[in-house]
Amino acid sequence: MKRFEDLFAPHMDAAYNLARWLTGNDSAARDVVQESALRAFRFLHRFTDGNAKAWFLTIVRNESYTWLKASAGHHWVAIGDELPEDDAALSHGQTPELLAIHTENAMLVQQALCALPPIFREVIILKELEDMPYKDIALVADIPIGTVMSRLARARAMLKLELLKLHDHE
Amino acid sequence: MIMNELDCTACQMLVHGYLDKELDTVMAARVAGHLAVCANCARLHDQARRLKVSVKRHAPYYSAPVSLTANLFAPVAPQTRAVERWRKWFAPVFSATALALAVMLYVVTPASEQPLMDEAVSSHVRSLMGEHLNDVVSSDRHTVKPWFTGKLDFSPPVFDYSAQGFPLLGGRLDYLQHQTTAALSYGRAKHIINVFILPTQEADKPLQSQMVRGFNVVFWQENHMQFVLVSDLEKSELEAFSQLLKNGA
Repeated sequence: MKRFEDLFAPHMDAAYNLARWLTGNDSAARDVVQESALRAFRFLHRFTDGNAKAWFLTIVRNESYTWLKASAGHHWVAIGDELPEDDAALSHGQTPELLAIHTENAMLVQQALCALPPIFREVIILKELEDMPYKDIALVADIPIGTVMSRLARARAMLKLELLKLHDHE
Repeated sequence: MIMNELDCTACQMLVHGYLDKELDTVMAARVAGHLAVCANCARLHDQARRLKVSVKRHAPYYSAPVSLTANLFAPVAPQTRAVERWRKWFAPVFSATALALAVMLYVVTPASEQPLMDEAVSSHVRSLMGEHLNDVVSSDRHTVKPWFTGKLDFSPPVFDYSAQGFPLLGGRLDYLQHQTTAALSYGRAKHIINVFILPTQEADKPLQSQMVRGFNVVFWQENHMQFVLVSDLEKSELEAFSQLLKNGA
């Protein structure tokens, strides 16, 4: 009874924040969190103990992707794992001054984050905004723990490129 | 010391674990050692650190709206004795709030209609995927309604609601629950609403809405017809439109 509330009420902000970043809109994020709470409630018996936050965010993430796929319809949104490797992105190191300026521009930072494919956006949100350790990110993002660092490395390289791209278009 | 040397490729990956404090002390020392002597890696390290700080500082953190948490973990309303007794019985199993949630999401839609809703949502998605939204494209109900005649063994209500902001786009035949179904499409700004109408032997049922796979769905039964509306439109707008249909029909 109380167990459900005790376990998950403390993580509603994290749940909504993740859903909001993944779906990109408020009403979808609300629906995703409601649906996730229902699922958590129904499958509470499967949660023995451990990390309630990671467990709940895993559900929220799955629901967010379900929503993304459904809402995309025929405009299929790339979830991100089919993108070609781009090693140039990892070592791309020009224009450090511009980067320095752009990382101070809140609007550009937000825009660049939104431009990332969800599987890269989510690791950055979980790391920087939730401050989760790699082992929990691995659970939520459903990847081996050994992959979290490389996923973050690519995500940050892409974020950097997006920030520089935004400048080009101004 | 040779064994401790990192190459730049490895370092450019490990630098992220280093920044996130996820490396063990030995590995962290090796990364620090490499950064001290390699200007290129040191610069990339600096950029990654700057990005981290920048996201922490500038990316908005979206806290859960109060109305959402209040919905899910509602404080229990003033209690009568009966409720108190009831709670005593059920408290070990469900909290009243969790029950409220379950009731809201489960009971509102009896299981018998669930397959129909699922099918309707799938059909809605299919109608948007292909070019097969409408068999008869017209905003004139006097064109759309006769088109159905002879194709259906019932007569679906067809009205245009352009004046209210829901223009009739057209109609097509669909097939739900093993029955030929009338599907009308309406527009609302850039949203499409599919209205499925099929005959039923059952008695009238009041309007109810729910979310299925991210879509809002409104359902009711009236005059031996089942109405299912599916759209990505906001719930409140879809419900308002449902009221229009109900009254117009």
